[in-house]
Order: sequence, then C-alpha cells, then structure tokens
Amino acid sequence: MRAELFKTSAFRLSAGYTLLVTLAVAVTLGSAYLLTESLISDEVDLIIDTELQSLEARYARSGVPGVTEEINSLIDSWGRIGAVYMLTDANFERIAGNVTHWPFDGMPVERWPEFEIATIEPGRRAVHPVRAAVRTLPGGDLLLVGTDISQGRRFAEKFRVATLSGIGLSTLAAALTGFWFSFRLSRRVGEVTRTCQRILAGEPGRRLPVAGSNDEFDALAASVNRVLDRLEEQAGTLRATFDSTAHDLRAPLHRLRTRMDTLLLHSPPLEPAVRESIEAALRELDRLQRTLATLLQIALAESGTPLASPAAVDVGELAVELVELFEPVAAEKGLRLACRQEPHASVQGNRQLLAQLLTNLIENALKYVPTGGRVEVAVRKLTDGVRLVVSDNGPGIAAENRSRAGQPFVRFSAPAGEESSGLGLSLVAAIARLHRGRLELASNEPGLRVVVDLPA
Amino acid sequence: MRRGHAQDASAGTPTPDWQVRLLCGSVQLLLIEDDTEAARFLVKGLRESGFGVEHAADGRDGLSRALEGQFDIIVTDRMLPHLDGLGIIERLRARGIGTPVLVLSALGSVDDRVRGLKSGGDDYLTKPFALAELLARIEALLRRGAGGAHSTRLKVEDLEFDLLARRVTRAGQEVELTSRELKLLEFLMRRAGQVVTRTMLLEGVWDLHFDPQSNLIDVHISRLRQAIDRGSDHPLIHTVRGSGYVLRSDA
Repeated sequence: MRAELFKTSAFRLSAGYTLLVTLAVAVTLGSAYLLTESLISDEVDLIIDTELQSLEARYARSGVPGVTEEINSLIDSWGRIGAVYMLTDANFERIAGNVTHWPFDGMPVERWPEFEIATIEPGRRAVHPVRAAVRTLPGGDLLLVGTDISQGRRFAEKFRVATLSGIGLSTLAAALTGFWFSFRLSRRVGEVTRTCQRILAGEPGRRLPVAGSNDEFDALAASVNRVLDRLEEQAGTLRATFDSTAHDLRAPLHRLRTRMDTLLLHSPPLEPAVRESIEAALRELDRLQRTLATLLQIALAESGTPLASPAAVDVGELAVELVELFEPVAAEKGLRLACRQEPHASVQGNRQLLAQLLTNLIENALKYVPTGGRVEVAVRKLTDGVRLVVSDNGPGIAAENRSRAGQPFVRFSAPAGEESSGLGLSLVAAIARLHRGRLELASNEPGLRVVVDLPA
Repeated sequence: MRRGHAQDASAGTPTPDWQVRLLCGSVQLLLIEDDTEAARFLVKGLRESGFGVEHAADGRDGLSRALEGQFDIIVTDRMLPHLDGLGIIERLRARGIGTPVLVLSALGSVDDRVRGLKSGGDDYLTKPFALAELLARIEALLRRGAGGAHSTRLKVEDLEFDLLARRVTRAGQEVELTSRELKLLEFLMRRAGQVVTRTMLLEGVWDLHFDPQSNLIDVHISRLRQAIDRGSDHPLIHTVRGSGYVLRSDA
C-alpha cells in the first residue's frame, strides 16, 4: 500500500504542488527579507551621511575646535540612540568623541566599515556592532560617524528566522495537504478499482461506493452505478430469455428422448431396421443435446455465477489427470500426448470448468493433428498466476483466422469423420474470461499454440 | 455416488434380493414430475423395466405420497409446482425417512448439482437423459448399502482385488494395472452385476461432471479388458448396448 502510494499520479501531482508552494513562499518571503534589510541599512547610511556632511561643514567654518564642540554637544544631548562619533588626528589619536580608540587597523578600505565596541551596561558587558563612515578632513584629521546597528541586526535575525520557518511550515503544510490529498484520492480510486475487479470476478450485484459528499467522485460513482444497473438489467433479461429458451428446448428434447428410449424397450422386440433408425436418431439427439449443453455452459460462464464460490485448483495436477485420461485415445490415433508441469501451480477457480477448458483444448488438438503428430500440455507458474499451454504440430490456424477462432459457431475445416460444434473454443474463451484469464492463439511453427494465462 | 449414504438409509434399505423383486414388479418407485407427457413415457419405460411406479404431478402431492407409501426409491424433478424437489428431500430427511432420492433437473450447472447433492439428494441427473442412464443410476442407488462397503477384498469369480495392497489377480495370476486402471476396476467390481454408464464412470473415477466428445471411456475399458480378460475363456467385462458396461461372470 505504502510503496503503491508513491507510484500514484495523485502523489506525483501533490509532490509537484508542494515544490511549487515552497518555491513561491521562498521567493515572496526571501525578497521581503532582502528588501527590508536593505531599507534598514539605507536609512542608517543616510543618517550617517547627513551627520558627516553637517560636521564637515562645521569643520570648514570653525576647524577642529568647532567640530569637537559639536561632537561633544551631540554626545551630551539626547540625540539619536546608539550614535558613535570620533575625531582623530592623522595618526589616529583621539581628539574628541565617544569611542576610546581608533577601531580599525589604519584607514578602512570599505565605504561602510563595521566594527564592534564594548560597553558596560548595568550588570553585564555587551558588545555592540557599529556601522560607520570615515572622512579625511582637509587638515588631515579623520572624522568617524557611526551607528549601533545591533537593533537592526536583531530585527534582521528575527526576520530571517521568521522567513525560514515560514518557508518550512508552508512546505510542511503543502506536503501534508498533498499527502492527505493523494492518500484520499488513491483510496477512493482504489475503492473504485477494487469494486470493478470484484464485479468482473463474478459479483455483478456490487456497486461503487458513494460517500455522500456530493463531490465529483460521487457523481462519477453514481453514473458508473447507473451504467452497471443497466448492464445487469440487460444481462438479467438476456439470461432469463436464455434460461427459458433452454428450458423450453430441453423439455421437448427430454420428452422426445424418453419416448424413443421407451420405444426401444418394446416387446416383442422391434425389427432390426426400425431399431437401427431409432438408434441413429438418438445419436443425432445426443449431438443436439451436447450443443445445447455447451451453449448453456458458455452462458453460465459468461454470467459469472459459477465463480461465486471458487476453490483452489491445482492446474498442474488437473493437466496430469486429463492427459492421462486422453493418452489412450491419442495413442489409438497414433499421436503422442505429453504433459509438462510445475508443482503447486494453483489458481482460484472452478475445477469442473477448468477441466472442461483443458478437455476442449486437448480434444481440439487430437481432432486436428494428423497421425504421427504430437500434442503437449504444459503448466508453468507465473509470478502472479499460472500459464497453461496446449501446443501441437498439426496444421494450426492461419494468422488471419486466429482472432475469429474464439467466436461461437466459427469452425475451420474439420478432418473427415470429425464432428465439430464450433463452440469448443468459445467455451474455452468464456471459462478463461470467467477466471479473469487471457486466451491467446499463436503459431507453434508449425502447429497451434494455445496459451491461457490465469491469475492466481 | 461419492457420498456414503448407506448408514442413514435404514428406512428404505433395499433388500439384497431386489433384482428378484424387480422381476416380480415389487420394487416400488415414486416419480414426481410435473411435465405430464414426459412422465407418461417415463412411467411406461420404468414399468417395462420392471418397477412398480406411482406418479405425482406436483411437489405437495409428491411429498404426501412419499410420506404415506413404502417406496424403495424416489425420482423427483428439481423444479415443481408448490414444493420443489430439494424441499421434498429436506422434509423427508427431517422426518427420518432415508429413502434414496434421485433428482432430475433441467438446470445443468455443476453448482446446481452440488447444491442438489448437498441438500440430501443421493444422485443428480440432468435432463434430457437417456432412459438407460436413469435405470443404471436407480440400480446403483438401490444396490447401495447392500454391498460390503467395508470389505478389504473384492472378488468376482476368479478375479480378486486386494484393496489394501492394491493388488489384482486373475486365476491366481497377478495383473499389472496403473493406479487409474485400479480405480476403474474397483468401481466396476464394487458394482459387479450392475450396469455402469460412461457418465457414471467419468464422475466416479475421474470426478468429471461433463461429457467429453471422445470415446474416452471405451478406450480405457478396452485397455482394462486387455489386462483382465485376455486369454481367458470367461470374459468378465461386458458391453451393454446403448447403456454402458457391466462386470459379471457369464454363468
């Protein structure tokens, strides 16, 4: 069941859907994150730039003392939070500002260098990341303006975690939804498939389940059920017609037979000539009766009823028994009849019907193969069933006729003296179908090779 | 045929001398059949074969006659007005009446057959059938319970079958037979003196409930005959024209 689920189209669909959802969420949240992050740093940079410009203007007006005064006032006043200033001489010696010493090795190369400063806060030592910009003033002094970006960093960190977990959660949600969806879908489709198989296997009264949720599955099931109802109704009508016809034919046949049989008991005994004609008529009656019986059997097999209570049938054993039964007849005709079978080649089915199937195939072969030929019955196990092959080296059936061979009343020139009802292979086909099997006629090069595959 | 019904057939156990009674017309048979024309000829045929026959045309009448009369065997149609054949058997068995019952039916499937036998019928015959087939089966049912079912040796004249050792001798000489030929011979010997049809042999020896077209049984019998009767002045296996075979001494 599990392995099968991964092979379903519903699963493939939901896997694709999950991937798509993951990608869409990742792109949306990722670009929001990147955009926000750049917005925050852009704002910081703008503030730093503005302050640098105003300090540079002050320097131009009143030199180092003016800038020192300005910086001190900026530090003392309640200016912006986390602002960092420093004015040094060309040797990086501090002149003014709230940083104790030059944080870089010489002049930083980046436009927006970052560094860390340690601050003493009540009870603990903290390290704050700072983003800064450095300008060389016309006198060779250096001016540094920066901002504590730990807030922004923390925000970005939180945003990143939120983004990633957002992507993760939506992937999980999509995957779960997809799994549930494909599980439900494959369960409902599976129900339909199983029901159809059971109907085919001889439970014509079974119907597709309707969940009552009025969804498209219910609509489909209801339509299929209506089709099945109609088919069953038609099959029922057909069967009733067939049954009553068969019964109506049997009753007069029965009367005729009894009447003629009673005639033979006549005393004093009938004249030999009369007796002979009655016996000849009885033989014709026998043939008629056999054809009728075969037709009835085909109808029965097609109706699926005989498999209402299937049992395990060892096809190999059955083949051995029937080959043994027919061997003397084959020998009398100068034919070799052999059997090759694997042990425990069993299927669920009706033993009598499978015996009839084999009998018809063997009888056919014995009928058509000329003296000196050979007929072989082989039973082989397949992974999920049994393969039964009856092959001979007789005249075979021309390729263009093979597909017609299983149809009722189609017969190919039977050898002189052999009667053929034209129903033998039809019955074989009906019995194979009843067992959900497959009948195939092929060339045995030369001869005929009949293959019947029966599921276990 | 495959069901040992002998033990509960006490009420209608056929006496071993039933053949004598048959000759005197004292074997009583009840035929329950709603097809009156078919019944007329069947009754005629059965009477000419030596049976005392009573006919009932529907299920209810059939049941009351079966309950009142002393019959050795009942032949009933499967589908009858008022009460069907299987219903009759059920009611008879419920009252402890074990008279052998042969069910006739126009339904021919194997499953119908199985259901017929399961519900207590002793044999099942599909219409239309040859009168010879019906007679052979009636004979088989009448004989059942009379033979020594538990003996380990079968003997017909100088033909002996040791059932335990699966050994057959004819006039003291061992006869080589295949296991299927042994089964066939056992079937014939257990019914020695009784006509056995080809259909009965297919059912009893091969468990096949349909008639193949070939002359299968004839070939098997002729092989058995070769083994048993070759070189003997007293052939034991005889062909009965239009019926089947019988194993008996000629004397």
